[in-house]
Amino acid sequence: MTALTGRRVLIVEDESLVAMLLETMLEDLGCVAVGPASSVDEGLRLAKEDGVDVALLDVNVAGTQVFPVAEALEAKGVPLVFSTGYGEGGLPEHWRGRPTVQKPFTEAVIRDALMKALGVANA
Amino acid sequence: MRHLELNGELARDIALAFDASPNPYMLLTPELRYAGMNQAYLDVLGRRREDLIGKAIFEVYDGGGEDDAARANAERLRESLQRVIETGERDHLALIHYPIELVDADGTRRIEDRWWSATHAPVRNQAGEVVYILQHTQDVTEVERLRRRVAGAEDQASVGELLSGNILARAEHVQEDNRRLQSERNRLLDIFLQAPGFIAVLTGPDHVFQMHNRAYADLVGRDDLDGKPLRVALPEIPDQGFLNLLDEVRGSGEPFQGRAVPVQLARSRSGGLETVYLDFIYQPLRDMDGSVAGVFVQGHDVTDAVLADRRQRLMIDELNHRVKNTLATVQSIAMQTARSHAQPERFAESFQARLLALSHTHDLLTRSHWEGADLHEVLEHETEAHGRTRVLLNGPHVALKPSAALSLGMVFHELATNAAKYGALSAPDGRVTVDWSLDEDGRMRVVWREGGGPPASPPERRGFGSRLIERSVRHDLGGNITMDYGEEGLTAVMIFPVNSGRN
Repeated sequence: MTALTGRRVLIVEDESLVAMLLETMLEDLGCVAVGPASSVDEGLRLAKEDGVDVALLDVNVAGTQVFPVAEALEAKGVPLVFSTGYGEGGLPEHWRGRPTVQKPFTEAVIRDALMKALGVANA
Repeated sequence: MRHLELNGELARDIALAFDASPNPYMLLTPELRYAGMNQAYLDVLGRRREDLIGKAIFEVYDGGGEDDAARANAERLRESLQRVIETGERDHLALIHYPIELVDADGTRRIEDRWWSATHAPVRNQAGEVVYILQHTQDVTEVERLRRRVAGAEDQASVGELLSGNILARAEHVQEDNRRLQSERNRLLDIFLQAPGFIAVLTGPDHVFQMHNRAYADLVGRDDLDGKPLRVALPEIPDQGFLNLLDEVRGSGEPFQGRAVPVQLARSRSGGLETVYLDFIYQPLRDMDGSVAGVFVQGHDVTDAVLADRRQRLMIDELNHRVKNTLATVQSIAMQTARSHAQPERFAESFQARLLALSHTHDLLTRSHWEGADLHEVLEHETEAHGRTRVLLNGPHVALKPSAALSLGMVFHELATNAAKYGALSAPDGRVTVDWSLDEDGRMRVVWREGGGPPASPPERRGFGSRLIERSVRHDLGGNITMDYGEEGLTAVMIFPVNSGRN
């Protein structure tokens, strides 16, 4: 058992191979993957549902920016982790300083980012 | 003076007075044709009045001969007259050497050197237009001769001064300087007008255009600027903060330099605003007393450079994004392939085959500059290793977006690999037919049908390959896939919207 065990993690990621990688990593971390959503619309739908503890959002989803999903989750108080090929500099002002992971990522990086977002101590 | 448009006795008196004057006078039209002259002028030139009236002056006046000095004389005269026409102001020629022919009492003719000083004055009509140019010439030969005579005398300085010889020499110098300045001014004006950068001079608190060059007119798409305040000449400018900047430069006397500053200009007649990017400088121009009289505007249009720079930055960002995404894809393939293979050598084989499948589709996309790929080509690339005669492809040309091409490339790779391992392509006579068609709603239907091989059966464990197929069609293409494991072999039917997915 770790601080992440049983946490429900919403994934928004348009590339199925990358989504599968995240699912595998989350499974190894003891988390439950929600989604993955392959578009902003699908992400918005899943964001409205209850039972999401934290979200991993790809910034560029099928050519659209993911920020509407981020806003919906922020409004519900769900912590966020952004995943991007652009680095933190690719985030608009409002979202700077949020935990960000850069592709390609390791399991340790995903774990640390999720724990930082959730505000739980590293075991 | 005849031919002057004066009436009555006064006119006659004036004409008589001119004729009585020992100084030569003549009157030219603005086209530089003789309109009239007095007797003294005719005497000096040795011509008759009727031979001159209406003639162009430079048809008649040869500057005093055929040599270079004469040509230079004529040229100076022409420049002086031109200045009067251009400026509407008086112009002086301090000293012209013009020899004249004299007839002595005994009838012999001889040439005598003479020096003249001329003034050209504009004659205006009531509307203020220059209608004539009056030339008044004085014979200064005596003074010049004296000057030359004392040159070399013992008490040269005092005599020279006394005879104002230096004054004449100075007048000559001033005249020469003026000529030089005039040609220098013209040269500078030419450079100014033809400079590749844009230039304008604004004066006064309202920033009135004094002058602007061709590049400036081209930049703003208008030429009727001079004499107008900036806010009138370029009405789109005031709202963009440039008036405040100009006011500041006038107030502080400090120049302002702008780099790649966006400016909205109504360049076309339609009045639509166009954004250009400018490097420019506002340089204060000072009066003799040191106060700022105007602002010198100078700069370059750097729009092309700014846009190219921006495109390049976008391209680098996009490239970085794609490379990082591709690396994550490869990472995923490696990790999941490793998990489904216990033996390292089998892992290497599967991993490399998947990597090459991805790479093949990249090649196709590169050929089209990442605009897309044809479905037939994608299928061909992923199946040709198994023999062209064993995999039959039937369907129309269908353009796929890059993301759809990459996903389908992986899907067909997995299907072909499975067929080679367990399905139709594992038997010597087995084959695969792939048929595809588009329905009216733009939905693609692809049927992968295996035959001639062993009967198909569902896999006992859902491995990475089948998960990848299923997920790619559903997640990446927004469609669905059904797998039918029949006696004849596997039949997979995929249906997906053809324009789905990102670029």
